[in-house]
Amino acid sequence: MKIAVPIKFVPDLVEELTIDPSGTALDTTWLRLIINELDDHAVEQAILLKERSGGEVTVLSAEADGVDDFLFTAAAKGADRLIKLTGDFSAADNHALGRAFADVIKELQPDLILTGVQAHNDLDGSVGPLLAEYLGLPYVGYVAGIALDGNKVVARKEYAGGLVAEVEVKLPAVLGIQAAEQPPRYVAYSKIRQVMGTAKIEERPVSNLESSGGVVVGRLFQPEVAERATMLEGSPEDVADKLVGLFKELGTL
Amino acid sequence: MPIRETFWNIPHWAEIAQYIAALVTAIIFIAGITRRVLRWRKGRPEKRSGHFWKRIGALITQVFGQQRTLDEKFPGIMHFSIFWGMLVLAAGTALATIDWDVTHLFFGFQILKGGVYIAFELMLDVLGLLVVLGLGMAIYRRYIARPARLQNFPVKKLAGDDTYVLVMLAFITLSGYLTEGLRLAVTQPDWAPWSPVGNAIAALFLSLGDPTNQTLHLIIWGMHIATAFGVLISLPFTKLFHIFSVPLNIYFRSLEPAGALRAANMDGGMGVKEWTQFTWKQLLDFESCTRCGRCQDVCPAYASAQVLSPRNMMVKLDDHLWEKKPRALHGEVVSVDELWACTTCRACVQVCPAFIDHVTTFVDLRRHLVDQGKMDQMLQDALSNLGRYGNSFGQSDRMRAKWTMGLQPPVKDARREQVEYLWFVGDYASYNATLTDVTRKTAEVFHKLGLNFGILYESERNSGNDVRRVGEEGLFEMLVDKNSQVLSKCKFQAIVTTDPHSYNTLKNEYPANGNGRYPVLHYSELLDQLIAAGKLKFSKKLGYKVTYHDPCYLGRYNGVYDAPRRVIEATGCELVEMPRHRERGFCCGAGGGRIWMEEKEVKERPSESRIREAVALEGVQTFIVACPKDLTMFRDAVKTTGNEQRLEVKDLIDLVAEAL
Ligand SMILES: Cc1cc2nc3c(=O)[nH]c(=O)nc-3n(C[C@H](O)[C@H](O)[C@H](O)COP(=O)(O)OP(=O)(O)OC[C@H]3O[C@@H](n4cnc5c(N)ncnc54)[C@H](O)[C@@H]3O)c2cc1C
Ligand code: SF4
Ligand code: SF4
Repeated sequence: MKIAVPIKFVPDLVEELTIDPSGTALDTTWLRLIINELDDHAVEQAILLKERSGGEVTVLSAEADGVDDFLFTAAAKGADRLIKLTGDFSAADNHALGRAFADVIKELQPDLILTGVQAHNDLDGSVGPLLAEYLGLPYVGYVAGIALDGNKVVARKEYAGGLVAEVEVKLPAVLGIQAAEQPPRYVAYSKIRQVMGTAKIEERPVSNLESSGGVVVGRLFQPEVAERATMLEGSPEDVADKLVGLFKELGTL
Repeated sequence: MPIRETFWNIPHWAEIAQYIAALVTAIIFIAGITRRVLRWRKGRPEKRSGHFWKRIGALITQVFGQQRTLDEKFPGIMHFSIFWGMLVLAAGTALATIDWDVTHLFFGFQILKGGVYIAFELMLDVLGLLVVLGLGMAIYRRYIARPARLQNFPVKKLAGDDTYVLVMLAFITLSGYLTEGLRLAVTQPDWAPWSPVGNAIAALFLSLGDPTNQTLHLIIWGMHIATAFGVLISLPFTKLFHIFSVPLNIYFRSLEPAGALRAANMDGGMGVKEWTQFTWKQLLDFESCTRCGRCQDVCPAYASAQVLSPRNMMVKLDDHLWEKKPRALHGEVVSVDELWACTTCRACVQVCPAFIDHVTTFVDLRRHLVDQGKMDQMLQDALSNLGRYGNSFGQSDRMRAKWTMGLQPPVKDARREQVEYLWFVGDYASYNATLTDVTRKTAEVFHKLGLNFGILYESERNSGNDVRRVGEEGLFEMLVDKNSQVLSKCKFQAIVTTDPHSYNTLKNEYPANGNGRYPVLHYSELLDQLIAAGKLKFSKKLGYKVTYHDPCYLGRYNGVYDAPRRVIEATGCELVEMPRHRERGFCCGAGGGRIWMEEKEVKERPSESRIREAVALEGVQTFIVACPKDLTMFRDAVKTTGNEQRLEVKDLIDLVAEAL
């Protein structure tokens, strides 16, 4: 069983986000990047599958600040291959990223591809479904729990409202991970340091990034204070009366 | 003339039989000791030589003087009596043997004759009573008073071992006295009154007359000798072994500063996974525990939830060394919960009469858990944050000095200009929203005192003290590297910190501070120095009645007890001590990384127990702390115990600022 896990880095929200002068992107001077949390879950899920049924886990990422450390951490957890796509990804959206990953993954020929189901930076469609489309593979998202069964998997897919479905998918397939079966494990620093001496990060230069199909940001802005809210003052009875009055005024009652 | 006739009434065959028995005893004894020593040698090496005279000195005060044992009155006197009584009886027996079988046999003279002999008889007779007294106290304590700390051993058979020792010692002593009494009853020498106990016993038997008494004497002598050999044979196999292991353990105790933990074993994974990865000294520790339970009595983890008992840990680890089918050290021998419960407060180490270092062992065992990533989610998050942002709060390192905003004059940047005091602020004082007021107040006091001080701003990282004690050695090293790098570029004369945890590791564990390159001061020490030098003068006498809580990492770890007390007194406050103070100070429960872990169900939090202790002091309305974590811990505890009206928790700096 070969498992590929493409991951990406997103802005770390402990830092205040500022918008750059163009007004369509984040200012990168103060930006600090961190692994997308659900991608971290995807890595954990891959390692769990490997521990359970054997196999080879490859973690792939586009170049970014801190990616090397993350890849080594993944290796310390049990990932076998580390691949870093190099090039200028500053303007790459998920479509571009999906295509770039697809090219490398085609060559890896994995049985299973796990991604985090979504990331909080660009909500222009997740990498997972895009990748599935470019590779011509089936996709199931919002997965929390995977059972391997020969050349198929049964994925526990979460629906809104607490519903869960078990979805059977033929391999190879792409799964978007909502949560790994256990929270991503902690790796001791000494282990990471050890791995740094032995593990190798394979670099794959990516020259043309094709982002067609993605969304174009027209304007990026901080939430603006609108003056729509009216605070009703008074005792609970007064407030209730005023509310009823308002509803009547608006014709809802 | 009074003279010692050692084998009176003993037929020659019995005398010879005794020497054959002695030979067999010696062989088994030596084999037993060798078996133990060989086991210790399976541990990893550790250097514990050097400072010969210092070590001998400790043997004199602690073994012969029984200093630490005597810290507790009843058990102290009990053990002191048994120890000295048995020592004198054993030495007397040895002397009598030499007298008879060496000097008398080969050189034809005896030491034990005349006045010397009479003094010898008197001394043995009276000091033997010490053993009777001590054993009586021990039997009363163990079987009638039954203090909790002597109950419920995790290894059941040990209760029998305890009884065995008492029975054997009691039998040896009583049969010795009987033998003597019967001998005196038959021989009735003029000097018999010089053996008052023996003589009194003799009086009881006189009516039986000879040859009954002579026969009785031979029988009881035989039993006495058999018991004595029994004790010697069993010494390496029973609790009696502590006679051998404890002095060794005292001799080989660490003479390093208490605050400097040994680096982690990295051979075969970090920490200790199997007992052979302990050092020989740790194995000797386990084998020295006498199950006295003193450590359990002072342990905050035991008091709050009974999950962890340092006594039980030693008992279980020792038992594990001898298991025929060794169980897994983690999970089977000791539980993960036990290991995480320790606050590394060192109270156990401080009271252990065998000088066992529990904390080092617990940290080694935790290191393996960290190596395996086995920890609760909160701790995992804290460690991840510490690695990523350099603080456990998961806030940006750029916000570390946010608390300085608006302070006039601005706090100097020690990375840019030379300062006299480099203030290492620490995580809690920097980030905890409820503490920044006190941090700002500290800066203001420093300004008012005209101190030339600065901070490292966003370059400061968590010092790593508790990271190390959690068992995350690699992360600790990384934090040390980062802090050392910026420290090495700054120009300053001394480091000052309000945080005892940072203080401890900066002072004792930072290689950059090799050989004390720069002094590290706790703010209480700095204030104390300034008062002594006349540079800090107070304009007010506050007149509050206060009590003071000793932070573990300031007190027990670094012996700073007086400086904060002198500062408190200089502000004109009356200091009333809690029952547990100085060396016996009771941990707040936050140390050793506990503050980052999920709280399991507890009977009473250590901090709450502490607040109740303070509230019981008459007229005390203020509880003074000298540690940022303490401020949060005890303010919470005052609320949860409903003592908000009764007691106010204040930082030392609050008093100083008010009295200025
Ligand atoms: C467990 C879970 C957690 C999520 N958490 C987040 C989150 O934290 N943040 C976030 O931004 N997003 C989250 N999402 C994703 C978010 O809900 C989806 O992105 C969003 O609902 C997608 O909307 P959609 O219209 O594209 O697709 P869908 O939600 O799939 O909507 C399709 C719509 O078409 C209807 N439909 C389907 N088939 C037919 C049919 N044959 N005939 C008529 N109608 C049909 C459906 O009933 C539905 O109304 C989560 C989703 C799930 C399941
Ligand atoms: S260090 Fe403190 S908490 Fe830990 S076992 Fe000893 S007394 Fe208990
Ligand atoms: S560890 Fe020390 S204090 Fe604790 S029971 Fe053993 S001998 Fe006593």
